[in-house]
Amino acid sequence: MAFKNILKNVRIWIVIIALIFAVVAIHPVLDSKGAAIRNVIKDSAAEKAGIESPDPNTAPTKREVITSINNQLVNNIQDYEDIIKTLQLNQTVRINTNKGQYVLRTLPLTESIVLNETEWINKTFTEDNQTYTHLVLQNKTETKIIGMQDIGLKVYEAPTSNLRKGLDLQGGTRVLLQPENETSAEDMEIILENMKQRLNVFGLSDVIVKSASDLPVYLGGTGMDFIIVEIAGANEEEVKDLLSQQGKFEAKIANKTVFKGGNDITYVCRSSDCSGIDPTTGCGQNNGEWFCSFRFSISLNPEAAKKQAEATKDLDIVPSETEMRYLSEKLQLFLDDEMVDELNIAEGLKGQAVTEIEISGSGAGITQQAAVLDSLDNMKRLQTILITGSLPVKLNIVKTDSISPTLGKEFIKNSVFFAVLAMIGVALVIVIIYRKLVIAIPILITMISEIVLLLGTASLIGWNLDLAAIAGIIISVGTGVDDQIVITDETLRGEQKAYSLKERIKRAFFIIMAAYFVTVVAMLPLWFAGAGLLKGFALTTIIGVSIGVFITRPAFASLIELLLKE
Amino acid sequence: MSKKSRFKRWLRRQETPEEAEPAETKPEIHEIKHKNPLMEIYDKHYKKLLIIPFSILIIAFIIIGMQYFQTGDFFNKAIDIKGGISITIPTEKIVNADELQNILSPNFKKNEIDIRTLSVAGRQTGIIVDIDIDLNDEANIEKLISLLRKELDLTLQQGEYTITGIGSSLGKSFFRETLVAVLISFLAMSLVVFLYFRIPIPCLAIVLCSFSNIVITLAVVNLIGMRISTAGIAAFLMLIGYSVDTDILLTTIVLKRKEGTILERTIRAMKTGMTMTITTIIALSIALIFTQSDILKQIMTVVLIGCFADIVNTWIQNTGLLRWYLEKHGI
Repeated sequence: MAFKNILKNVRIWIVIIALIFAVVAIHPVLDSKGAAIRNVIKDSAAEKAGIESPDPNTAPTKREVITSINNQLVNNIQDYEDIIKTLQLNQTVRINTNKGQYVLRTLPLTESIVLNETEWINKTFTEDNQTYTHLVLQNKTETKIIGMQDIGLKVYEAPTSNLRKGLDLQGGTRVLLQPENETSAEDMEIILENMKQRLNVFGLSDVIVKSASDLPVYLGGTGMDFIIVEIAGANEEEVKDLLSQQGKFEAKIANKTVFKGGNDITYVCRSSDCSGIDPTTGCGQNNGEWFCSFRFSISLNPEAAKKQAEATKDLDIVPSETEMRYLSEKLQLFLDDEMVDELNIAEGLKGQAVTEIEISGSGAGITQQAAVLDSLDNMKRLQTILITGSLPVKLNIVKTDSISPTLGKEFIKNSVFFAVLAMIGVALVIVIIYRKLVIAIPILITMISEIVLLLGTASLIGWNLDLAAIAGIIISVGTGVDDQIVITDETLRGEQKAYSLKERIKRAFFIIMAAYFVTVVAMLPLWFAGAGLLKGFALTTIIGVSIGVFITRPAFASLIELLLKE
Repeated sequence: MSKKSRFKRWLRRQETPEEAEPAETKPEIHEIKHKNPLMEIYDKHYKKLLIIPFSILIIAFIIIGMQYFQTGDFFNKAIDIKGGISITIPTEKIVNADELQNILSPNFKKNEIDIRTLSVAGRQTGIIVDIDIDLNDEANIEKLISLLRKELDLTLQQGEYTITGIGSSLGKSFFRETLVAVLISFLAMSLVVFLYFRIPIPCLAIVLCSFSNIVITLAVVNLIGMRISTAGIAAFLMLIGYSVDTDILLTTIVLKRKEGTILERTIRAMKTGMTMTITTIIALSIALIFTQSDILKQIMTVVLIGCFADIVNTWIQNTGLLRWYLEKHGI
C-alpha cells in the first residue's frame, strides 16, 4: 500500500529522474580495459603515425584508449609498459585503439658528435634566383645511434567513469606563478594566452592554465593575481623545466634571424586604429569561399630594423598578377624553435631599415562573417606569438604541489571504504535512537542519492574531484542527515496533535532553510580567498546542500509522511 | 511600539493563520518536581549552570593567550602557512619519527623540521616531513630527499612521493585571507540569523554560542599540539555552519512553538539536536580513523572537537540565555 503511494508521489519521482540523469552523466564503465592516451609527444613515432593528443574538454569515458599493440591485448598500463619494453629499433608497431588503427615505426635515438677532423662537402646556395654549389670545409660529425626513442605516448589507466579526478587523487603537479610586478588585466590575459600557446607547442594536453586572484585589498587580501598551471600525471621536475624555458621567439628570413621577441619588438599594436581587417583589401569571394585580410603594425628597435634591411636587400621581387608583389623569401616566425607562421614581405620593404612593420595575413570562411572571425582569430594568435617572446613581467614560482599517483590511488579505495562505514555508523545510531528500522532506510537512501547526485553534477559540469571536494561532499551529506533528523522528529515526535502532518513538515523546513542559508553564506567567502584554491570546497558544499534542500529533502519528507501514515 | 508587543506580533506572524490557536496549550507556570536529579538542576538552576560554559570559555581564552605569549601566534602554524616544503612518503615501514628527526636536524641546522607519521586504523601508511626551506632551493631539497632515501632505504624517485611547497610570503597572505574569510563567514552567519529571527537577544545568544565553539575548539587544538594549515582554518568555517544548526533548531522550537513549557520545548529540541550531533560525531570518528589524508584528518578533528564544544554551548549556554530572556519578558 505504502509502496503504491510512494510511486504516486511527484517529489519522489523528481529524485528518481535526477538520479537517472546523474548516473548517465557519471557513465560508469564496469569493464574498462586498456591504456588511455594522455599526451602525444611532439615529433615522436606516435605523432608521426597520426595519433593525436586528446582535447582536454573531452569527457573521460570518450578518450582514446589503446586496446592492443601488435595483436597483444592491452588491459591496463602494466600490459602497455610490458609490451613497450619488448619493442626493437626500426620495428613496425601496430597500435589498435577504440577509435582506429595506427602503424608506426620505432625511431632511433641518436647523438651527434663533432669530430676533431675536417672534411669537404658540397653545399648548395641560392642567390639572385641562381643556384650555386660550393665545396665547403667543415668539421666532420658522426651520428651515433645510442638506443631507441620512446614511441612518445603518455598513458594512464582507462577511465572507469566521467568523474574527473583532481590532482590529489590521480597525481600530477600544480604550480602557482606570481607576476613579479603588478599586472593589468590586459597583461594578465597576454600571459595566460602565452602560457597556453607555449604548453600547446610542447604537446601537452591535460593542462589547466587559469588565472586566480586573491581577495581584494579592502577585504584584507592582497588583491594579487596568480596563474595556476596544473598538469596531470607530470612530476615537479618536468613542470619546472617547462616553465623555466623562456618563450623564445624568432623571426627569420632565409634562415637568418632578423629579430627576436623581447627587446627587438618594442610594440605590437592591438588597438583598432592599427590592427584589424585590412581596409584596403578587405574581404573577397573566390570559388564560393570568402577570404579576408588582416593587418597590424609592430615596432622594431633600430638594430632589428637594420638587420631586416640587410636580410632583404638581396632578395628578388616575385612577379604576381595582383597589385601586391612580394619578395622571394618569406618572413618565418619561430616559437621555441618551431615554425608557427610564415608571412609574405611586401616589395616596398626591400633593403629598407624600417622600424614600423605592417604584418598581414588572412582568414577564410564559408560566409563573409565567418571569414572575418577566422582572420581576426588568426591575427590574435599571431599577435600573441609576437608578444610571447616578451612576457610583460617575470613570473615567480610561489607554490608547488606535486602529488604522487600511488597516494591518490590508495586514497580513492580508502575513501569509498570509510564513506560506507560512516554511513552504516549513522544508520545504526538512527536505529538505536528511534528503535525503528523503517526510519533508517529512507535516511540511508537519501544519503546515497545525495552522493550520486553530487557526483553526477560534478561529471556534468566537468569539475575536478579533489580532497577539498571530498570534504565538501562530507559536509553536504552530514548536513543532509541533520536535516532529515529534524524532519523525522518534527513529524514523529510532534506532541502538537493540533497541527496536521503537512504543517509539521512545513515547520521542519523553517529550521532547515535557516541552516541552509547559514551554510551557504558561510562558504561564499572561501570562493575568493587563497587564490581560489579552496573554491572546490565551497562549490561542492554549496551545490551539495542546494541539491539536498531542493531535491532530496522534499522527497524524504514525503517518504516519511507516507511511511508514517500506515 | 514597545519591544514586547513587537515580539508578540512576531510570534503571531510565525503561526499559521488558518490554523486555530492550539486550544488551551498556554501552560500555567507551576513548580514541577523532576524525578531525575540532573533534570532538577537543569530546570531550576539553569542560570547557575551558565557558569560552566563561561568558565570553559575563559579557560580557552587563557590557553590561547598563553600560546600567544609563548610563541607570538594564537596557534601552531603548519608549513603551508609558515612557508616551506612538505614531503609525504607512502611507506608501511615502521619509522620512528623522533629518531629520524635527530638524524635530519644536524643537517639542517637553520631550519625547523617536523616529522609525523600517517596512519589508517592504527596501521602506519606513510610519513610526512615538514621543513621550512624555500621551495626554489633545489640544492637543499635534493639534499633532504637523498638523506631520506638513505635513512628510509627507499628509492624515492620523482612521483613516488608527494612534495608540496609554498613561499613564506604567499603562505602568510593565504593565511590572512582565510582568516578574513572566516571573519566574513561569521558576520554573514550572524546577519542571516538576525534576519531570520529578528529578535536581538536570542540572536546574540546564537552568535555567542558559535563564537564560543570556535574559541574552545582553537584552545583544544592548541592543547593537543596540532599545527593548523589553511585546510584547518577552512574547517572552522565548517564548524560555523554545523554548530549553528542546533542553535537554530533550539531557538525556533523554543520561540516559535506554543505547546508545553519552555523546558519541555527545550527537551524536545535537545532530543533532535543531540541525535544530530551524535550522528555527526559517529560519522566523523569513523572517517577520522580510516582516512588516509592528513588534510581530511585535520578538518575532521577540528569539527569533531567543535561538536563536543557545541553540546555544552548549545544546551547550557544558549538554552540558559534564551530561557533567561524569555522568563524576564514573561513569555
